[in-house]
Amino acid sequence: MGGKNYVSDRLWIPVIATLLFATIAGVFNYYQKVFAAREANSICKQLKDRTYNHIQQLSNRYLDSQSTGDLVQRCTSDIETIRIFLSAHVVEIGKGLILIITVIPIMLLLDPWLTLVSIFLIPVIIFFGYFYFNRVKHVFKEVDEAEGALTTVVQENITGIRVVRAFGRHSYEIERFATPNLEYRDKGIKLIKLMSWFWAPSDFINLMQIGIALIVGSYMALNGYITIGTLFAFLSLLNIVLWPIRMLGRILTDLGKTIVALGRLYEILNQPLETADDSIIKSPCAPISGRIEIRNLSFSHNESAPTLRNVSFVVEPGETLAVMGPSGAGKSTLMHLLLRFYDPDSGTIRLDKYPIQDLNRKYVRAQFGVVLQEPFLYSRSIKENIRFGRQESEERDIEEAAHMASIHETIAKFSKGYETQIGERGITLSGGQKQRVALSRALLSNPPILLLDDALSAVDNETESNIIEALKSRHGTSTTIVIAHRLSTLAHADKILVLEEGAVTQSGPHSELIKQDGLYKRLWAIQNEVRAIS
Amino acid sequence: MQTEEIDEIRSKIDLSLWKQIFGFALGHKRILTWLTVSALSISLTEALFPIPTKMAVDVIQGKATDYGLWLPSALFAVLTVSLCIGVYYFIKHAGSISYHVGHDIKRESFKRLQELEFAFYDSQPTGWLISRLTADCDRLSRIIAWGFLDIVWGTGFIIAMAIVMLILKWQLALIVLGTVPPLIVISLYFKKRLLESSREVRKENARITASYNECISGVKTTKTLGREDLNLREFEGMSQAMESASNRNATFGAVYMPIVMTIGSAGAGIVLWYGGKQTLASAIELGTLIAFINYAGSFFNPINQIASVFTEIQSAQAAGERVTGLLNTKPKIVDSETVVAKIEAHSKANSKDEKLAPDGHEMEIQSIEFQEASFFYKENEPILRSFNLKVEQGQTVALVGPSGGGKSTIVSILSRFYEPQNGEVLINGLDYRQRSLEWLQSQLGIVLQTPHLFSGTIRENIRYGNLAASDQDIEQAATIVNAHSFISNLENGYDTQIGEGGAKLSTGEKQLVSFARALIADPQVFIMDEATSSIDTEAEQLIQKGLQKVFDGRISFVIAHRLSTIRSADVILVIKGGEIEEQGDHESLMEKRGYYHKLYTTQFKRERVETVLNSSSN
Repeated sequence: MGGKNYVSDRLWIPVIATLLFATIAGVFNYYQKVFAAREANSICKQLKDRTYNHIQQLSNRYLDSQSTGDLVQRCTSDIETIRIFLSAHVVEIGKGLILIITVIPIMLLLDPWLTLVSIFLIPVIIFFGYFYFNRVKHVFKEVDEAEGALTTVVQENITGIRVVRAFGRHSYEIERFATPNLEYRDKGIKLIKLMSWFWAPSDFINLMQIGIALIVGSYMALNGYITIGTLFAFLSLLNIVLWPIRMLGRILTDLGKTIVALGRLYEILNQPLETADDSIIKSPCAPISGRIEIRNLSFSHNESAPTLRNVSFVVEPGETLAVMGPSGAGKSTLMHLLLRFYDPDSGTIRLDKYPIQDLNRKYVRAQFGVVLQEPFLYSRSIKENIRFGRQESEERDIEEAAHMASIHETIAKFSKGYETQIGERGITLSGGQKQRVALSRALLSNPPILLLDDALSAVDNETESNIIEALKSRHGTSTTIVIAHRLSTLAHADKILVLEEGAVTQSGPHSELIKQDGLYKRLWAIQNEVRAIS
Repeated sequence: MQTEEIDEIRSKIDLSLWKQIFGFALGHKRILTWLTVSALSISLTEALFPIPTKMAVDVIQGKATDYGLWLPSALFAVLTVSLCIGVYYFIKHAGSISYHVGHDIKRESFKRLQELEFAFYDSQPTGWLISRLTADCDRLSRIIAWGFLDIVWGTGFIIAMAIVMLILKWQLALIVLGTVPPLIVISLYFKKRLLESSREVRKENARITASYNECISGVKTTKTLGREDLNLREFEGMSQAMESASNRNATFGAVYMPIVMTIGSAGAGIVLWYGGKQTLASAIELGTLIAFINYAGSFFNPINQIASVFTEIQSAQAAGERVTGLLNTKPKIVDSETVVAKIEAHSKANSKDEKLAPDGHEMEIQSIEFQEASFFYKENEPILRSFNLKVEQGQTVALVGPSGGGKSTIVSILSRFYEPQNGEVLINGLDYRQRSLEWLQSQLGIVLQTPHLFSGTIRENIRYGNLAASDQDIEQAATIVNAHSFISNLENGYDTQIGEGGAKLSTGEKQLVSFARALIADPQVFIMDEATSSIDTEAEQLIQKGLQKVFDGRISFVIAHRLSTIRSADVILVIKGGEIEEQGDHESLMEKRGYYHKLYTTQFKRERVETVLNSSSN
């Protein structure tokens, strides 16, 4: 009994040890998770910055061929998949391996035979997991596809709900929805059944392994080969080894997803940047005067049909050139070539005396104030949007630019004026209002050349003539190229270029063109028809 | 792209709401019962698992004399088999319930969406509704199935363990159970904090997604403005904020486990100390002590799971409100009780008279009359003021005027998608609220401004107007509206797949198909919101000829933009500010030199420029 008292008096030692080890393990566990998460978050932040930067500098040819939704999905969901794998599994895999490597020798030291009996089923579990997840991969995909199909039907129905109601087809639609809805349910249940066929047997093998170790260990303890303490320690160690192996299934699935996500992301990151050749080129020292000379320019978006054929013209500094022609004639493409969004197949574009292929793209673009056909505004305040034209401009300059674009009064009427937010979190501007804000932005930068790609198409006649008047008042300061169809706008230009099917069919000032037979004269004749009906 | 909803966290759980959602699971009683049984059997099995070890230790120590090692071995085997069967069934049944409930909620929501009136759709953006039917429904069904399972299993497990322990040694049991309250408090606290911090992460993530969207759709503008570096710097600020938020979230997550584990170990420690003394004093067996140490470490798991379910329910409260809100919205425009009674009476009378509509009134529509019809969304902002108009069979009415003037409201009221708040709409002199809604709408052929087609073949799209139409009827309708020739020129003719929203057809072609679709229903009233987008001259001429045939012998209302359509109308109404500004035929209105004159001249110029430009390229 003396021995018992001795132990009893010192029972606090294992008690304190238990608490101490639990606390130490807790602290390490905490740091392991925090460090893993921090590392993963930091890697993913860098990945995001890199893709963002990369996308901004990709060639327009590549971007034209991609859908926005898909690109955004890759940058967000795919990076998230990678992050989860990095933070949750990488450290766990390492930890699992270390545990197995360190724990198994300890077990061997305790008792080699019992160790062998305790781990002989582990290869079976690993093999089963690997084999199983290879088999169910396609079921995962089927469920994904069924879900996609269901979403498509919902989307189509809701976008077309007015047609559905107009034809009183609601019961028909309900029937139509039933099929994919059932399909998704049944595919999901099929997957779940397969999952239960994985987890139940895998738990069974795991428990068998513990059970066998327990029974064999107990016999050995009963016959005095090992002590109860050894048995108890042994069972605890076995649990440590089995835990990472049980997680194997999940790790394998996530690994598969992560590899796919990485592949999709690197498809973007491996695209060459359009600026790849910019670094070797210098910018000219003197500011350019705004003379544009185009010689024998040809370009095609794809092999089959040329978009521009042998286009040549000159715009002198300060002149206004109007470009007109039917849709699809290549007017916008011409603008894009000037901005080096694409490089021509043949021919040259010169800015003053410099061929633009020899100029840094950023430099070229900085020479232009641009309003694109469908102007893009950022989801910020109106003021910020206009200020993007020239970052260091004063409020006065901004208002002046807005005045010139005939939008100042409209903006002043908004309750928050220039601070009004545009976009999702703010108001939606009409097409004409957007065009005028974009025009203010372009005017603010006061560039050597102004490019207006059908930039006033949504603005009413009266406002348009006001804007044209205002632009004329600053005539001489900028070279202006404007794509337009309104007769009034065309007549104001110094030179008019008629573009048909990618080729220049007529060019010259208004006074000359109305004398020539051609598209311009026919268009101008409409004025007389209008006079006739009124 | 669907936008993710970042919901407020509701601290109160609205029980009636969850009762309604749980009602969907109750529709599958058999699976639900089996799920409960398997969850409870697992709780019991798991609670019993330390017992074989205890028995084995007792045998080794010679404390158990009435059985050998075979008993713990057999018990272990039985528990193992029963656990695995339980695992198999609970995964299967919980998964099935989840998919069944998801299916049922979606079915009901979809059904409701088909019945709701236009006004409802006017106020809800498409993307928002789509997320209700997909993301929200999926989330709720998952919570219902797995949450139910976790609660049943967790509570069952805790109770079973408590009972087993109390039977084994109540003093030790009380020590272990003493760890339960702090575990519950700490779990609830951390889950709540985690929920909040992960919400921050999602907020940042939504900003980043929006930023990527802007980056890609505005790439040309960014390049022309040379803003690449500035944009990147701003984006780096956002991704930095996201990283910090994620790190904070991870810190909260990481601190939770060590704390509950330490509480578990403290319990085990005290058991070891107190139980150890007892063991040495031979008051309890070593086996029992080992079992209790096992139990002490097992409590945090079920508590953790139950706490997760409660926070998950809190965070899904808003999603639940949206879905039940949709399910509980009653359609406002329906047949009145008298009309329903009349329809029943008529069908009982089994009248074979084809001149009678299902509501027992006349089938043929001879006239439609608006009498002092007014409509508004907000009391003081009328959209339509005391509108009066009478149209006879065979007449075509063209509605022109500025957008937002009330043109589409007139046709929506005519179609009874909206009802006027004041005044009435008379069909053959009878208020249309006394006629069957379904009958009225089946007599309308409607062509919308943007001709929405469904994915599928051209044939299927035309048949949408009349599900009973034969292939011959379809070709006939297409021929009348001049669509037959372009359709036969397609590779697969009428069986050509036209892609989502009819993407593979040009705008003009889509319009022709939508005419055929409207015509095949042989409607008595034809309603069209003419497309404004320019189509090539050839298609326009085809459409015009097709239209004239559709107008023949019908009452037609056209929101008109093209001059040829306007000119061919019997009556032209200029609608402005919810009122008739000018009314008459083309000649008389031109002479007036008012709004119509100005509108006509502008449109004339625009159409002529289009024609001249297009003719040059042909």
